[in-house]
Amino acid sequence: MSVDKDETQQRLKAAVHYTVGRLCQRMGEDHRREFSRQVIAAIAETAFRQCDVFAKDLEAFARHAKRSTVSSEDVKLVARRSTALSIYIQNKSEELNQEQRDLKKKNAGKRKSRDTEEESRE
Amino acid sequence: MANPYAERQISHSVENMAEKDAEIGFKKETVIKLLSSSFKEDKTRLSGDAALLMAELLKVFVQEAAVRSQKQAESEDCDQVDIEHFEKILPQLLLDF
Repeated sequence: MSVDKDETQQRLKAAVHYTVGRLCQRMGEDHRREFSRQVIAAIAETAFRQCDVFAKDLEAFARHAKRSTVSSEDVKLVARRSTALSIYIQNKSEELNQEQRDLKKKNAGKRKSRDTEEESRE
Repeated sequence: MANPYAERQISHSVENMAEKDAEIGFKKETVIKLLSSSFKEDKTRLSGDAALLMAELLKVFVQEAAVRSQKQAESEDCDQVDIEHFEKILPQLLLDF
């Protein structure tokens, strides 16, 4: 069981490392300043540990709101320490909501016929 | 059953397209697993919206770390960003998140 969990952690770490590597490579190309492998590994490790902090915060915020599901409101609270970041995350959240509303509108037409079908069956 | 090889090929080409589009980031599933493994209680869940937002937040964190390290390297007139540059910006980075 614990071996299994260890392996999952290792895989997650590898996934984070991969994404950090790609992000850093892109940034290195844009600014003509390459990152050493050590730096990429260090940033990946930091991000991985920061995730643990974020998760504990998110869980505490959700529990304080008497929820067992972490919502986007909790994420907004995690980003509270920096004004710019908090505004950025709030805008992103709005964007996501807007996207979902658009999707619903798009699907509404398609779903209507299916819904009436289901209703008649009920 | 669908041919898994064909599926993989499709996802691969989609990935290649995304690479060109400058859209590099964490996958939603990865973020969900990453955060869920750190929750103290088993019944705590993560909503889809929250997962996408956390993916964005993590991306910003990594980009911020990279850009600050780069700036540090620049101020020391180094061509390559090395561990010492990251070490110098780490404390403030952690205070800002």
